[in-house]
Amino acid sequence: MTAPGGGALATRGGATVRRMKWSLELSLGNSSRSRGDRQSKDGDVMYPVGYSDKPVPDTSVQEADRNLVEKRCWDVALGPLKQIPMNLFIMYMSGNTISIFPIMMVCMMAWRPIQALMSMSATFKLLESSSQQWLQGLVYLIGNLLGSALAVYKCQSMGLLPTHSSDWLAFIEPPQRLEIMGGGMVM
Amino acid sequence: MAWLVVRLAISVSLFYTASAVFEDQVGKFDWRQQFIGKVRFALFDTHSQASKKLLVATDKNVFASLNSRTGDLFWRHVDKTGPEGHIDALLMYGQDAVVVAGNGRLLRSWETTVGGLKWETVLDTGSFQAAALVGVQDFVKYVAVLKKSAISLHDLSSGSQIWVENLPDSDTVQYQTIYSGGNGLVFVFGVVPNSHIVIVEYKIEDGEIMNKKSVEAAWMSSLESSCTVISSGILLCVDQITQSLYTLLLQSAEQTEMRQIHLQTLDLEVASGFQPVLTSTQPNPAQPPLSEFFLQLSPDHHILLQLKDGLIVPLRDFNPSYLAAFATSGERTVAAVMSPKNDTACSINLFSADTGRRHLDTTIIYHMDPNGGKPNRLYVHAFLKKDDSVGYRVMVQTEDLTLTFLQQPGRVVWMREEALADVVTMEMIDLPFTGTQAELEGEFGKKAAIQDGLLPMVLKRLSSQFILLQAWLAHLWKLFYDARKPRSSVKNEVNIDTLSRDEFNLQKMMVMVTASGKLFGIDSKSGTILWKQYLENIEPNSVFKLIVQRTTAHFPHPPQCTLLIKNKDTGLGNLYVFNPIFGKKSQISVPALPRPVLQTLLLPVIDQDYAKVLLLIDDQYKVTTFPSTKNILQQLQDTASSIFFYLVDSSQGKLSGFRLRKDLSTELIWEVVIPTEVQKIVAVKGKRANEHVHSQGRVMGDRSVLYKYLNPNLLAVITESTDTHHERSFVGIFLIDGVTGRIVHEAVQRKAKGPVHFVHSENWVVYVYWNSKFRRNEFSVLELFEGAELYNSTVFSSLDRPHPPQVLQQSYIFPAPISTLEATLTEKGITSRHLLVGLPSGNILSLPKMFLDPRRPEVVSEQSREENLIPYAPEMPIRDEWFINYNQTVSRVRGIHTAPSGLESTCLVVAYGLDIYQTRVFPSKQFDVLKDDYDYVLISSVLFGLFFATMISKRLAEVKLLNRAWR
Repeated sequence: MTAPGGGALATRGGATVRRMKWSLELSLGNSSRSRGDRQSKDGDVMYPVGYSDKPVPDTSVQEADRNLVEKRCWDVALGPLKQIPMNLFIMYMSGNTISIFPIMMVCMMAWRPIQALMSMSATFKLLESSSQQWLQGLVYLIGNLLGSALAVYKCQSMGLLPTHSSDWLAFIEPPQRLEIMGGGMVM
Repeated sequence: MAWLVVRLAISVSLFYTASAVFEDQVGKFDWRQQFIGKVRFALFDTHSQASKKLLVATDKNVFASLNSRTGDLFWRHVDKTGPEGHIDALLMYGQDAVVVAGNGRLLRSWETTVGGLKWETVLDTGSFQAAALVGVQDFVKYVAVLKKSAISLHDLSSGSQIWVENLPDSDTVQYQTIYSGGNGLVFVFGVVPNSHIVIVEYKIEDGEIMNKKSVEAAWMSSLESSCTVISSGILLCVDQITQSLYTLLLQSAEQTEMRQIHLQTLDLEVASGFQPVLTSTQPNPAQPPLSEFFLQLSPDHHILLQLKDGLIVPLRDFNPSYLAAFATSGERTVAAVMSPKNDTACSINLFSADTGRRHLDTTIIYHMDPNGGKPNRLYVHAFLKKDDSVGYRVMVQTEDLTLTFLQQPGRVVWMREEALADVVTMEMIDLPFTGTQAELEGEFGKKAAIQDGLLPMVLKRLSSQFILLQAWLAHLWKLFYDARKPRSSVKNEVNIDTLSRDEFNLQKMMVMVTASGKLFGIDSKSGTILWKQYLENIEPNSVFKLIVQRTTAHFPHPPQCTLLIKNKDTGLGNLYVFNPIFGKKSQISVPALPRPVLQTLLLPVIDQDYAKVLLLIDDQYKVTTFPSTKNILQQLQDTASSIFFYLVDSSQGKLSGFRLRKDLSTELIWEVVIPTEVQKIVAVKGKRANEHVHSQGRVMGDRSVLYKYLNPNLLAVITESTDTHHERSFVGIFLIDGVTGRIVHEAVQRKAKGPVHFVHSENWVVYVYWNSKFRRNEFSVLELFEGAELYNSTVFSSLDRPHPPQVLQQSYIFPAPISTLEATLTEKGITSRHLLVGLPSGNILSLPKMFLDPRRPEVVSEQSREENLIPYAPEMPIRDEWFINYNQTVSRVRGIHTAPSGLESTCLVVAYGLDIYQTRVFPSKQFDVLKDDYDYVLISSVLFGLFFATMISKRLAEVKLLNRAWR
């Protein structure tokens, strides 16, 4: 009997741990064990090495599963678009005043699409199994872009974008004077 | 709408409530010094032995009591300026001090311990001549006042007039002095110049003329300094031309001619051209004067004489001697004489008046300040010691208005610099770096970096680091050493050698120029006078202009200030160049100015020694440069075409602009004439050279920008109408470009009168005038804007400005008269501006510029609210917390000087007048400094607590994770 097999390697807690770090128990019949072990005791005892009590899945591809995959992929792709109405509602509710909550909302709204766009490749990997991978990818991209556009719009309506001349006022250097002038009342 | 206004008003008021100082901040960064001016009369209170009072009356119309032990003021009364408050005479008897003020208009009696007014009487008109206390039978009961044509007698305890009598023949006789010897008579002496003396005798009880006689005196022109009364009624006169003394027995009917005693018979001679002076003493007004007197024969020769049995006997000859004075304590009268000892010191000795014998061990050595003036007044306070000998203290006043109080054997008890009561102009200079800071500065200076290679630079770096370390260790050691000493002795002594710039450049050197020609260097943090320099031979009506040519930023070159002194009479000026930190005269050769100087112009051009170039324009419009090295002349030739200057001649009502030519001559390029028969120019102001404007525009409610019209060459010219009728008088303001002479804007305020006070800064001008129609003071503000677009954002040239600016104006009622106006100034101009208003009450009001904004709307709109504009209200509020000097009032504030500090939020303010007050203001509060009450302990303990908590919890979490992993 080898360790990874039916023999239980007592690495977890229990009364024995206090005495020794680990021990290999060869007599499996003994029931002086912790509760967790006891639950699977019957299985350990009954089944031989390599036996799995889970049913082996049917790996043969079926038509219905393919549809499911498609559907699942479309779910992923359409996710950002579906969030837009919700975002619009939040935007409307939070108003245009600059305070901590609207700012947090805007940050979240802007950050999520950007995050999603950053992890585009991961999403693509997810969509790999789909036949309409490219279309779905495009939809996903557009959805995220729309989301970020919405965030930008929100920033704009809150006045956070430097689009006015007053936003650049602080950077104007004082003009250099060309003439030197002085004088005063006749002393 | 209404609630919006209310809300706004509340928010604005909340915004400003904390602008005043807190109680525990009093005196923390501000100080005040009170002055009195040049002493004209000084009397020691000899009423009781322990008295510390010294009563003084000065040319600034100040009547004050000084503590003679410390020099501090017990109390001070500041009367009106000018002849209205002029103090004509000061007499003291017991606890009462009698003052005649306003050319004999008012007679006042003051209680000397607390300075309360006992009574006041308005006298009849007539120019004042003399006043004297009058005693009857050892009691002083009356005070007699002699006017040009009348004499009046007043009761000393109530001020009520006993009698008033017209003087006989007052149109031909000049009555000048008065004398009473306690025998029930008052003598009035008058003179008809070069003819005869008139003596009128009045009876005290009812003012009846008892006797009137005239005595031949063809040699006499004035009685005042050449005659005196000595020894039970003998009139004694001295004449320089006949070199004689004259005596006259007042109460003898038979003597009708003065007895002449030739000075030659006494082996004396009056110095040629010197008007001899007689000094006698009358210790008690109810008794006749002593028979001893001083005769001054030349500026440094006095002689003590005695009249004995009709003969004049010299008691002691004091040659040389500068000053002599009598003093009385109890029954004993002494004479103090100041004689030169050596070049730097004088000795003062005490002599008994009746014998002329010197008192032993009474010498006081008075060390003359090498940078000061000569002594010119001596006041003596004599007192009886326990062993019945006479002790004394003296107060010496010098030409440069220093009061020095000395006691034996020459210890200076206190000193007062009364020249500071009349500050004309001032500057604030950055202090130099310490040696270590300068070392670093030198290391990273531009010159050094180019000269040296890499390795020397590294070595230099290491050595300077080592020096820094050394300095730090020395500092630590000093801290440790000081901590062991008692707290009182640790007091930070400001010393000229340890002077160095502090972290935020809050401590500066105040260079003050006074009207008497004395310069002072004062530490702005403590008010300590660090150096003083008396410039001799300054005419009393000279004009001063102080120019900073090199600041302390150019180590190792010392800072350099230049003072232009112009004599009003001759028009000639001369330059005095000095180091503003140490007050030493600079060795630099100064250009001679053979022609009268009209104006000066400080150019931003610097020579190889980093000194800015000063141009002096003479009356032929030729230019002298200082310094004038080859380098400078070369630079000037290159830049000459862009150098312009303007001159304003108010007598001709002419403004003229000049351009510099390459050969340092000038050409007239424009002229504006304001007809003098209608209005006269009263003041012209450009912008301050060290002013920075951070923001080039103002943000509107719709977030667009209204650009400011920031013309550095703009001049504000104020005129007043020559017609002073309240219906027709007006005040005009012209905004003129100083380069082209173009009138940018003009405005006229009808039914307005001066004096106009104004400030010209950034893109605005604020001026104050008197509205003669509504009889109130009004503020008016002019603001100039370029509009929504900048014409040229990179360079500004007055020659290329096609579009006139938009001008906005608004006026407000100010509920108080004002005496001076100035604006705050900060390093970068980010902080909002406040106006500093000096009020005649002595308070200084810090008025936010926000209230003086011509964009304040009459109707509040969304946009104006967005802009934070306060709705227009004609009344300007004055809040008590806006007074930056709380109860430290500045008497007769004449000017306010503002200077930026190293902190953007902080502006240094010095108000000067009769007093000097220094403080700091924070127009936008201290946004760049932690508050005084910032809880360092709490914050740092919380921080450390959190830090340790994190450490501990991290460790605990690790242990827990490990344990779980083992499970």
